[in-house]
Amino acid sequence: MSALAVPAHRQSEHSLVRTWFERRRGPFIAVAAFCLCLGIVKILSGGTLGYYEIGTLAAGGATLAIAATGQTIVILTGGFDLSAAAVISLVNVTLAGHMQSDPASIVLWTLAGIGIGAATGAFNGLFIAGLRLQPIVVTLATMFILQGVTLLVMDKPGGEIPPGFAQLLIGDAIPGVLPMPVLLLLALVGLWLALRNTVFGKALLAVGSDREAARASGLSVRLHEFFAYVLAGAFYGLAGVFISAQTGSGDPLVGNPMLLQMFAAVVLGGTQLGGGRGGPVGTIFGAYVLMLVVNILLVLNVPAFYSSIVEGAILILAVLGASLSSSSVLARTLRTGLRRAAARRAGTLPRQLDLPTTRLALPAPSPALDTPPFWRRNAEALRNGAPAYLCFVAVLVATQIVLGNAILSWPYYDSLIVLGCFLAILALGQGTVILTGGLDLSLPWTIGLCGILCAGLLKGSDAALIYAVPVVLGLGALVGLVNGLGIVALGLSPIVMTLAMNGILQGIALVYSGGTPNGFAAPALRWFMTGRVLGVTPIVPFLLLFVAGAVVLLGRTAFGRRVYAIGNGERPAELSGVPVKATLLRVYMLSGVCAALVGILLAGFSGQGSLGMGDDYLLPSIAVVVVGGALITGGRGSYAGMIGGVLLLTALQTLLAGTTLPYATRAILYGVVVLGAVVALREKSS
Amino acid sequence: MFSRKLFFGAAAGLALCAALTPGAQAQSKHKIYLSMSYIGNDWQGEAANMIKAMAASKTLADKVDLQVQVAGPNAQRQIQQINAMVQAGAKAIVIYPISPTALNAAVKNACEKGVIVIAYDGEITEPCAYNIAIDQEEAGRITAEWLVKKLNGKGNIIAITGVPGTSVDTLRTKAAKEVFAKNPGIKIVNEAVGMWSQAVARTELSKILATRKWDQIDGLWMQVGCYTANAMQLEAAIAEEKLKPCAGEGSNGGRIQMLPVGTEVEGANGAYKPMAAPRISYASPPYSGALALKLAVQKLEGKDVPKKIVLPLPVVTNETIKLCQEGTWAEMKAGCNAFKPSIVTNPGWFASIFSNDTPEIGLDAALVGQPEN
Repeated sequence: MSALAVPAHRQSEHSLVRTWFERRRGPFIAVAAFCLCLGIVKILSGGTLGYYEIGTLAAGGATLAIAATGQTIVILTGGFDLSAAAVISLVNVTLAGHMQSDPASIVLWTLAGIGIGAATGAFNGLFIAGLRLQPIVVTLATMFILQGVTLLVMDKPGGEIPPGFAQLLIGDAIPGVLPMPVLLLLALVGLWLALRNTVFGKALLAVGSDREAARASGLSVRLHEFFAYVLAGAFYGLAGVFISAQTGSGDPLVGNPMLLQMFAAVVLGGTQLGGGRGGPVGTIFGAYVLMLVVNILLVLNVPAFYSSIVEGAILILAVLGASLSSSSVLARTLRTGLRRAAARRAGTLPRQLDLPTTRLALPAPSPALDTPPFWRRNAEALRNGAPAYLCFVAVLVATQIVLGNAILSWPYYDSLIVLGCFLAILALGQGTVILTGGLDLSLPWTIGLCGILCAGLLKGSDAALIYAVPVVLGLGALVGLVNGLGIVALGLSPIVMTLAMNGILQGIALVYSGGTPNGFAAPALRWFMTGRVLGVTPIVPFLLLFVAGAVVLLGRTAFGRRVYAIGNGERPAELSGVPVKATLLRVYMLSGVCAALVGILLAGFSGQGSLGMGDDYLLPSIAVVVVGGALITGGRGSYAGMIGGVLLLTALQTLLAGTTLPYATRAILYGVVVLGAVVALREKSS
Repeated sequence: MFSRKLFFGAAAGLALCAALTPGAQAQSKHKIYLSMSYIGNDWQGEAANMIKAMAASKTLADKVDLQVQVAGPNAQRQIQQINAMVQAGAKAIVIYPISPTALNAAVKNACEKGVIVIAYDGEITEPCAYNIAIDQEEAGRITAEWLVKKLNGKGNIIAITGVPGTSVDTLRTKAAKEVFAKNPGIKIVNEAVGMWSQAVARTELSKILATRKWDQIDGLWMQVGCYTANAMQLEAAIAEEKLKPCAGEGSNGGRIQMLPVGTEVEGANGAYKPMAAPRISYASPPYSGALALKLAVQKLEGKDVPKKIVLPLPVVTNETIKLCQEGTWAEMKAGCNAFKPSIVTNPGWFASIFSNDTPEIGLDAALVGQPEN
């Protein structure tokens, strides 16, 4: 494939303009997608695009744009920040509770809002840059802590923001010419462009593109990483200030749903996860594309149940449509496909030719070497996975002390395994995807659709299990296959593809069920999840087999080794002969099948399928993988470690559920324990 | 090169649009928009069906051009949507508000342009908006009082709440806890967040029961989950006549469980069967959206509609439970309040669909969006 691609790039075409454009491809795609969406809205609605419309549009998307800009900075340095949306909520309720209408108070609390964000960023930065912990675990813990604090500040929507302040941020900068939100965003872009040309800005990008090279050039990687989080935090704080002005009140949940949208905006804007390439300009347009989807749905008058399907399709088409060119992945896939077909007709495909074997003969293994002892052979896996298990034991002891009835009680472990089985199964799928450097955001509605379909096919009949289970698992594989094709054949980013897929599946579930899921799980399936044989729930031995199989799959098979190879570097893997595309397809199919299996088991556990039954499993599925020692950017981690993560988080939740602490306190404790666990047992090396 | 890209993209986009644009709408009707939040749960799906049925009923069919839009769980998007609806020339907007406060500025702007804004189930605090909902504090208080009485003022209870940070959950839970606080014999031994979902209720109860036994619990106060709690007690081999009293949601599964043992119901299955479970069943009724639509039209026709309508709290106890044969509006008016599992196969389905004010919609409306007439 790489040999075939060479003639397509003729040196002469590389004019200066083209190079200039190629280097800024990301933002251009976002701008094109934005113009495309705006054009569709205007053509179909026939309305004018005057100052008032532009002002409303600018104000509507500004919060997301500002917050996503902060997220872009973190991602540029190779990080990941899950606490962003929680900062927005916290700043919102703080301002709604305190800001008065006098100018001094407005200035004070605006600065306080930005300050809260920056302080959160400093907290994140301290742990991530200072103690070298994984960004995703730290920011996840911060997210829980902040959500708890937010509920302590304000337990239900309320409060008031002075209308004068709202007018200041939402109104006009120059009446009739320039709305304030546009000026604000222009100022942010200006700030970024100025920053990028300073030593600090260049260092941020350098740290993101190649950490080791940056260190070798004498940059203080840690310091720059730290300030990236502080700066990003300040942006989230500003977004919180802005949403306060926009809504004129406080709501402790207002920011939460923006988290996934933020990542979608960043990726739409052409910034790559893993760092080094991209910038806020594309992100801002990406954010507005996501908000314009609402208007497109309105002018198209899409029926309610279909709206998430159309939204997913728009997301994919916008990215694809805007990136169409002779060098896009889609075009390459088509070209390669056509060439392969031509070669097949001509009979010149390698496998159609009678070529001599070129496999290298490996030398016979030398018997002289002693196999090192188990703990040394698996030292890395143990070091990465052990913290989760040690913390699990600590939680067990705490449970015994606080609640009793734990360490020596089989029913406790039985409940723990039953409750943890969903995450354990998801961890295999999500974990494998993460090991290849991807992320599967389509889990919630793969689970939901599969659970609903399973109950709908079973209708309470044991005999129907024989065909229902394979059909549902097949559906999961199909979902994964489509995800995988979108990623490898169309060249979509895993986040965009799986996020769009999640919306499409939600729509299919709604249309299939008509808004009211029918049917219920077969008695045998219910027994499997809730019955007891000698005090043991039947799922328990099944799960033990599943775990054993998964450990073998990832640790001992060629498939497993290819997964690690891809995660450590796609290009080197490809050059070493790993079938990257075929493996990625299988990885996403595995994730789809795991989600489908969870859908089936959840239907058995609850007795029926319900809409939204998978909603609570997305973030935990990522959390257990990283708490178990996997690296979010891929290549490192073991399934045994992830199981430790499952046990730890499930036991912790069980402990907290046994108390009567208020939810806010629990969320804070949960975050603190997760953070404490990774701090106390972090890698001691270098 | 840049323009070529744009062209291809635009072509792809327009092809999509062409496939989806509906035919021209009649002009004489009132243009009314419905802004739903998230439709990915059972309550919202049911409410959407009832609104659709109301719009298709004889009363409204030739008066209303209803367009339904979904904002998802994101208040930002609902704000954007309200603005877009105003620009598109809406006469009235019916809203399931994601937040009682965050939409205020957008709603105020809509009112100033002469658009009627009417919210159902949730509340919008902006004074120009119309609100239709039950009294959430009353719901918390009445259910807690029932449980206290059932336990004779003494016992250990489990509380499963809703979505933390929402007004509905905070008001209900606070009112219930005030009742419990007045009865020192009642002790809340465990409290968990149930997210108004049967599936989450089961997960949370399982966590609690990992370290506690059923015989250490005397009663349950749940916003959603009594059906599941009863099912779990049966799985734990607790006899039907020893089920714990449970104050909770108006799911049809729970209602069927309240019927006397031996009542003949078609399609009973597993825990979805009559077992005389000691219950009080209440709900935020899913017909409120349909009623909001009807009132919006009345207002557009010049009639007076009160700004705040407090719906009667639908409460069913073992004394008032009655099985419906077909589920028509007339039959429900005569007092039935539970539906056969053969018709409503999902036990989590919300059964409080009757209102005196909406003879246009019955069981078929809630299930498949078909009006009564």
